[in-house]
Amino acid sequence: MITFSNVSLIYPHSTKTILEDLSFQIQEGEMVLVMGETGSGKSSLLRLINGLVPHHTGGILAGDISVDGISTRSVKPGSLAHLVGIVGQNPINGFVTDIVEEELAFSMEALNFAPDVMRKRVEEILDLLSLSALRNRSIATLSGGEQQRVAIGAALVMQPKVLVLDEPTSALDPIAAEEVLSVLHRLVHDLSVTVIIAEHRLERVIQFVDRIIFIEGDGETSIGSPDEILKNSELVPPIVKLARALNLSEIGTSVREVRRATDEIRSRQYPLSDVVQRADSPAIEVSDVSHSYGEKLALNTITTTIHHGEIVAIMGRNGAGKSTLLHSIVGLHAPGKGRISVNGQDPTELTGAARRQAIGYVPQEPSDLLFASSVEEECAHADRDNELVPGSTAALLNRLVPGITTRAHPNDLSEGQRLALVLSIVLAANPEVLVLDEPTRGLDYRAKGLFGVALKEYATQFNRPVLLATHDVELVAELADRVLFLAEGDIVADGTTLEVLLSSPAFAPQVAKIMSPKPWLTVSDVVHALGDVS
Amino acid sequence: MKKPLHPLTLWISAILLAIGVVALDNAWIALAIVGAVAFLVYMRRDGSPWERSFILSLRIGAIILAIRTIVGILIGVPIPGTILFRLPILDLPSWMPGIRIGGAVTLERLSSSLHEGVIIATMIALFGAATSLTSPHKLLRVTPSFIYEIGITLVIATSLFPQLATSARRIRTAQKLRGMENVHIRSIAIPLLEESLSRSLQLAAAMDARGYGISRKRSRYRPMQWLMRDNVIVVLTVAASAVMVAR
Repeated sequence: MITFSNVSLIYPHSTKTILEDLSFQIQEGEMVLVMGETGSGKSSLLRLINGLVPHHTGGILAGDISVDGISTRSVKPGSLAHLVGIVGQNPINGFVTDIVEEELAFSMEALNFAPDVMRKRVEEILDLLSLSALRNRSIATLSGGEQQRVAIGAALVMQPKVLVLDEPTSALDPIAAEEVLSVLHRLVHDLSVTVIIAEHRLERVIQFVDRIIFIEGDGETSIGSPDEILKNSELVPPIVKLARALNLSEIGTSVREVRRATDEIRSRQYPLSDVVQRADSPAIEVSDVSHSYGEKLALNTITTTIHHGEIVAIMGRNGAGKSTLLHSIVGLHAPGKGRISVNGQDPTELTGAARRQAIGYVPQEPSDLLFASSVEEECAHADRDNELVPGSTAALLNRLVPGITTRAHPNDLSEGQRLALVLSIVLAANPEVLVLDEPTRGLDYRAKGLFGVALKEYATQFNRPVLLATHDVELVAELADRVLFLAEGDIVADGTTLEVLLSSPAFAPQVAKIMSPKPWLTVSDVVHALGDVS
Repeated sequence: MKKPLHPLTLWISAILLAIGVVALDNAWIALAIVGAVAFLVYMRRDGSPWERSFILSLRIGAIILAIRTIVGILIGVPIPGTILFRLPILDLPSWMPGIRIGGAVTLERLSSSLHEGVIIATMIALFGAATSLTSPHKLLRVTPSFIYEIGITLVIATSLFPQLATSARRIRTAQKLRGMENVHIRSIAIPLLEESLSRSLQLAAAMDARGYGISRKRSRYRPMQWLMRDNVIVVLTVAASAVMVAR
């Protein structure tokens, strides 16, 4: 279906080769995962398939790519619209109309389809993706998962043979992500659509894919079955880490396989590990807080206390009120009802330097805080703001991610580096409390690891609280002491990470699913328990 | 699901009512019309991002009303009548006869300024209401095909505006939370510019990939239908504005 022959790609004004001499073939009805570190060229590879690269972005392409016998060199991306459907990273940025039905029909209108054909196909897609109930809704009012389904539908309506998706689940909660992935699975199996998908959270997709293209950086790529690629890779999901730690002969990619291989380990008895309860003094106190937007109640009389030295994760589905709670705590808006105090202060009254020292806040789009034209300038600005010795922020940054080019423009950094830069700017003020909104979106495993270490260090070294809202269950399992689970503005669960994550099948991390009913969340938990026995 | 009115119906009604309001020149009736329109907008809101344009138009109207009133009180030709209060008179050079800044403020002067302000604000509110009930995207669907190319460009431009406003607010608050009290244009403009550029590129790429511009001709999915009630509404507003113009 797709043939790459000796493809090399470089962008002008860049010394880095994105792809070098890449050759492979993808058959009809295959599901292929493209993986690699952030900024390694995954998106470029995906966009080569329908010719958006280089037709739309520029760049120098050598070799030839053909899709269903058509060379992408000779035609414009639009001429492949009936063959290749592409769904971008952020579907909301690619929507052209504002009603679901019209969005689905857009491609067909542009290609002058007859009205009766359009009606029929739109109905089919609405049924296939269970969008019928949403057909007249305004796209802006849909949830993240629904928008993603509309974007997939808008591509599928052309009945393409190839569907290309760039990180389709990165903004979604685990349940919505599962919905989207099961739709893809069905397309592959029932309609023989060829699906090519890029994703960082391998734990979500690995069980569905037939092959992996691993972009290792500097033009190196390897292609093979998931087992072959993951055996030697550094970027692996927890399931593979577990197989390695337990020295299993075969690495499996689905929970079922690894459960079978670990039957014996699970059947043994283990001493219960002592749960260390640290009752520290309260840092953030939220009492009876309610907040609503218009008629919609976002928070419903929330009461909770965050203690010093605690890392607390706020979880829940998209629109459960996580961001609203964070915004209230950092003092972005005064809550409609109730009271919040951060170390005895009202967060809405803080300004300037006092605010920087009281609350460090990393927003959902970390780049909102960046405006200088180089990393160097950005760090110098933070030094001046916080009356630090020049070079302090840069030193902090260098400890978080060594070897960052200080001359680089913040926009040219990878997602992980940019987050590290924002984190060091925020930490430069030495805040009493650290609050982060969805910090690990788009980060690969390595960057996520470094980030986790930095947060843990901050919490333990200074005995200060960290509060983060996230969909990333694996991160929560590794990092958090406690989880607040929100649904429709209520706290529905509040307890240790172990209690909360184990009690919900959708939000359980991979290791917990494999090792259930044993109370282990991470690979190191398992290794620890096994070590205690032997 | 409430079926929306034909976009042209709303625009024709808005224009006719605006003509009527100007011709009749009665501030009380103008205010009553704004009230009725506000009720209509409230009843038919659908949660789209355009909905807010009515509120925005009311705000702009209020600002214009305020400016018109202040300017009307300060500058202009004196109108005799009941004197409310006196402002100090600013001396103007002799080559500007007949114009006065400050001086006695009469009730007549105040009410005529308010009156004119209300009429202008009403016109703005009428068009704001039309925009908030039919998004530019819908209006585009009923425009003839030969201006479609220009139309789609306008759609991209206009769909960026609400996004720009939201992004600017988001960036501003993020920076306020970093403790940056003094806003430099640069510190907002740079992230904003980067974001909107990359958004426009993404939108263009998405349209490109979906076959936009490949075919010279376009078909229409479910063309908007002109229904009986559209006739009724247009006839009624024509009658209303005719009455207002005739008086």
